[in-house]
Amino acid sequence: MSVQIKNVEKSFGALKVVKGVSVDIADGEFFVMLGPSGCGKTTTLRMVAGLELPTAGEIRIGGRDVTYEEPRHRDIAMAFQDYGLYPHLSLRGNIEFPLKVRGVPEAERRTKVESVAQKMGISHLLDRKPGQISGGQRQRVALARALVRNPRVFLMDEPLSALDAKLRATMRTEIKKLVTELKITTIYVTHDQIEAMSMADRIAVMKDGDMVQIASPLEMYERPQTKFVAEFIGSPAMNLLPARARPDGRMACDLPVLAELLPDAELTANPVAPAKMAAYIGIRPEHLSLVEGGEGQADFEAVVDLVEPLGQTTNVYLNVGDIRMIAVVDRTRVQAGQRVGVKVRREALRLVAA
Amino acid sequence: MSATLARHKARERRRAVTLWLLAVSVTVFFFFPVYWMFSSAFKTDEVSSTFPPVFTFAPSMDNFVHLFLEAEAGKALWNSFFIVTIATLLAMIAGTMAAYALARFDIKGKNAMAIEILSVRMLPPIVSVIPLFMIARWLGIFDTPWLLIAVYTLSGLPFVVWIMRVFIQDIPQSVEEAAMIDGCGRIEAFWRVTLPLLLPGLAATMVIVFMFAWNEFLLASLLTSSDAKTLPVIAANAIKPKAIAFGLACAAGVIMSMPVIVLVLMMQKYLVQGLTLGAVKG
Repeated sequence: MSVQIKNVEKSFGALKVVKGVSVDIADGEFFVMLGPSGCGKTTTLRMVAGLELPTAGEIRIGGRDVTYEEPRHRDIAMAFQDYGLYPHLSLRGNIEFPLKVRGVPEAERRTKVESVAQKMGISHLLDRKPGQISGGQRQRVALARALVRNPRVFLMDEPLSALDAKLRATMRTEIKKLVTELKITTIYVTHDQIEAMSMADRIAVMKDGDMVQIASPLEMYERPQTKFVAEFIGSPAMNLLPARARPDGRMACDLPVLAELLPDAELTANPVAPAKMAAYIGIRPEHLSLVEGGEGQADFEAVVDLVEPLGQTTNVYLNVGDIRMIAVVDRTRVQAGQRVGVKVRREALRLVAA
Repeated sequence: MSATLARHKARERRRAVTLWLLAVSVTVFFFFPVYWMFSSAFKTDEVSSTFPPVFTFAPSMDNFVHLFLEAEAGKALWNSFFIVTIATLLAMIAGTMAAYALARFDIKGKNAMAIEILSVRMLPPIVSVIPLFMIARWLGIFDTPWLLIAVYTLSGLPFVVWIMRVFIQDIPQSVEEAAMIDGCGRIEAFWRVTLPLLLPGLAATMVIVFMFAWNEFLLASLLTSSDAKTLPVIAANAIKPKAIAFGLACAAGVIMSMPVIVLVLMMQKYLVQGLTLGAVKG
């Protein structure tokens, strides 16, 4: 089922937490809302769920207007950050709850619960209570409860944030595989850019109650439109240098060579960085390479400030006068204090709005 | 090596014995008045007034016979039971619903409202006697059970609201929201999920509200004259200006404490459950 969110706003008293969000989510799409805490991503999700009512705007699920519909009439499932399991019921009771409420006969309930429990690998735990199992198992139960009735839309509110890093990585893959197989439209809320990048078909980065950019993970990474997105996605973050528009339409920058190298097409490629406005010239750290010795091939020179070997790659912190930059390179012999030449991958230069 | 072990064991045993003795003496200290009340209830007045007190005597039912045949304890017991049960139920139902609204809904000025509700309890009960008396006369419910039912419901309500509000806030909202997404309306979600989780809290609150109303004497003695007298009023009658009928007082005390003991035993399962269930976190 597709989900349409149109100009949705939400205010709590005088505080406007969602400021006119609009997005069309296609049937079967894995859509991630990514942003720091307080950006309105969870509130937006809760409005899709029907747990909050919008102050203005419209929400459609499968074309039907459900803006003010009760959650139970929306045919959605949801996974909560704290799982939202029923502590007084056994795992079986938890998983069959949505079926029981909907009056599914017992024999059918039993087979459905058993098959979904098997899929989630929790068959042997069905008679336990939620208090007697681990965090990862609880999340599996929550997923099983959500999947047992074949929902049309699956909403997930930071479902992995309570798990430890290793388990989070496993569950991430598992969830993605599961909902892709079942072709369920999924809206997933997280503050973790790795989760967003690895799972999403499309990401919406949110800030201060608004979606600042909606794009596929790679596009989001390759072409961040604003400084906020550029810094939020990717680690280490994109190198950004303040740039000014010159009367002739080109950009000027504290490191003039970058402004000169910026391809003409980039000047108009970013829809939110209008010509002749102040902006940033950005380049991802992996698109800077170090040239030792043959200074002639380098675009500019820099002094190495710090070298961080991570095994697979190495982070090299560079000083160019007062400007600090970071390059991610393969293994290197450069050392702090050394003067190196830096080569820029020209086609990776971007104009990023403030 | 084995000597130190033996010494260690001996010290452990001494410690256990000391603790046990301490526990026994505390129990005796608290239990003795109860024991004395129960035993005195079966003593005749001659026996209970002897000094030094006697511990062996022929039990007599005189006090109970007197209470039920002459002091109308049967009617008072029924009055107490009827009034306190209805008042407790009303206070629990209305109070829990109010507590739910205050805990879960976004109501303007709800904290002021909660304080307002609590202020009922800040009033010394004696202050309300004259207005209550006048209202009761006007409504024609003086000396009927309904007046005390209203009074006990009102005085139990703030307590229920404040305690249950905390219990409800302790239940993660996501549990109820999960139920609503799983197909329940708000009321069904409350019924199927919130209420079962609240049982321990409800049990504890109910026992306390019941005990408050069951033992209440001041208002009961001033707002009844004969028909609606409750047990504490009858029990107080044992204290006469010239002498105290210890046997009668103790027998009344026994009758009064029985329902509370039964109630606590009945609720024990839930009270213990409250300690072990807990919400699911992390």
